[in-house]
Amino acid sequence: MTTAWFDEESRLTPDELQTMTFPMSRLGRRGYEEEPVREFLGAVRAEFVRLVNERASLWQEVQRLRRRILDGEAGGDQNSVLFGEADAHVHAVRILSTAQVTADRYVADAQAYSSRVTEEARLRRDDIMREAQQHSDMVLEEAHARARDAAVAALNGAAPPQTDHERRAAQAELAYLRTYSDVYRAHLRAYTEGVLHSIEDWERREAASLKEVAHGPDRRSIS
Amino acid sequence: MPRSVIRVRRRRKAKPLDIARLRESFARVAIHGDELPLFFYSDLFIKHPEVRELFPVSMTTQRAHLVDALVKIVSRVDSVNELAEFLQGLGRDHRKFGAAAGHYDAVGASLLATLEHFSGPAWTPELAADWKAAYELIASVMTEAAREDEQQRPAWWRGTVVAHERRTFDVSVLSVRPEPRMDYLPGQSVAIESPSRPKLWRYYSMASAPRPDGLLEFHIRLIDGGAVSMALTSSMIADTELRLGPPVGALTLSSPAPGRDLLLVAGSTGLAPLKAILEQVAALQEPPRVHLFFGARTADGLYDLDSLEKMNAQCPWLTVTPAVSADPRFAGETGSLPDVVARHGDWSGHDAYLAGPSEMVQEAVARLASAGMAQDQIHIEDFGWSEP
Repeated sequence: MTTAWFDEESRLTPDELQTMTFPMSRLGRRGYEEEPVREFLGAVRAEFVRLVNERASLWQEVQRLRRRILDGEAGGDQNSVLFGEADAHVHAVRILSTAQVTADRYVADAQAYSSRVTEEARLRRDDIMREAQQHSDMVLEEAHARARDAAVAALNGAAPPQTDHERRAAQAELAYLRTYSDVYRAHLRAYTEGVLHSIEDWERREAASLKEVAHGPDRRSIS
Repeated sequence: MPRSVIRVRRRRKAKPLDIARLRESFARVAIHGDELPLFFYSDLFIKHPEVRELFPVSMTTQRAHLVDALVKIVSRVDSVNELAEFLQGLGRDHRKFGAAAGHYDAVGASLLATLEHFSGPAWTPELAADWKAAYELIASVMTEAAREDEQQRPAWWRGTVVAHERRTFDVSVLSVRPEPRMDYLPGQSVAIESPSRPKLWRYYSMASAPRPDGLLEFHIRLIDGGAVSMALTSSMIADTELRLGPPVGALTLSSPAPGRDLLLVAGSTGLAPLKAILEQVAALQEPPRVHLFFGARTADGLYDLDSLEKMNAQCPWLTVTPAVSADPRFAGETGSLPDVVARHGDWSGHDAYLAGPSEMVQEAVARLASAGMAQDQIHIEDFGWSEP
């Protein structure tokens, strides 16, 4: 049957038509909710198309069998009654159609999956960027507040007495912070480069495998 | 390029086609939905396996296209000129897919077999003869247009990616060298096929006016799950040889210029065709005043603002207004692009060119029209028969 790839279990039955109920629409409006009714009509339509298709292919089959019987009676060949050339062709068309629809489904699934993954990656990236932005805003604001406080303190009070010892300690701390930030930056760079390398490596391998599969040596000669 | 004169001739002896009967027959088979093209392609591939190579792995869109084309043909069969134009476009368009004159007979045979299969008892020798005559007419218009096109340009251009630059997370700018050189009008597009996604073509606009070095610039936005855009934004795209279809599209400056000032509205990579037009305007002796709105969701998405601002500073006739729709912290204009454009006053004396996400374009067009802009002042991309 041409309809072999349809899910047999999801087919509508006359019973379902009889017992189908729809939710009532919200207060103040009369009748059923529109969406479930539309959905149901869609299912009825699909079932209708299937029936029409089945009927057409059954009709074809009857016609062919009729012809075979007439031809078979004339020629006396029993085999030609069952397996005519036209039968074989229609059979082949059906098999190929089923295979094509299956392939289409695989492609559509892969596409949907890839779409979901990219979308998630994009949303995640937006989140990270937003968080980073908020964080940097916060840090900046804090720094501004401190600078303000320091300026106010400097204006109000006399400059704090700074002993040699205190100055040396402050310088040491500054040097430590500089080194720390250098080391941290180097780490971050190494990490980012590592990630980029693995992405590039991954893309290279993807490209190579695609070339092998979809773009083999005999591809070039086409058209 | 001059559109070829329409030449639809019936063979002298042929009886006139019974159009009502063809329509009725088509309506009867059309209720079979997707089964119709499914049967057609399977029949074609079994009889001529070599033709399968011309199609992509997934045939879902292909089947929809076939039915769309048939519906268009059957519904326009009364207006011969309009139909001829559609078919000529179809014929030219199929050259880049590798369709050859010899394929037309194979397609005709499978089309008839399909119609017969689904017509059931309604299939008669007269109906078969009518469909055969109708198809031969269609095929002759298509092949003739393809043949004429062949005299003028290649079926496709080889395009080598000479540079690529990732501007944002999801927008890349490609520089492509076409061979041979390609002539086009600023605002036009080409279909692109990447070698890693065989037989999948997507339209992209050239983002600059034709350059002395012949290089083409494309702005590619990564679509979630988009097979072709993913291949084109990959960092491995350098040195790849793409295939480019012929330049198409009517989002081009009217000639002769109506003398009105220009309003350009670009959402995201819809900037590409409008930037090409902008460059064309910049080369005019007396450029009209141009106001370009460039919108994106976030400031990050204004991927080409640097070069636009440079132009803005150099050209006294140009105003560039960047706008961001999903980031209220943005220092410039915020809100949806159609809102921002509407806020900037009365555009009824302008010629408007719009490109970008289709909802944005539709919304902006509706707003401009309701604000009194005439239909012929509004220009948007319309691929018509060649919509990918």
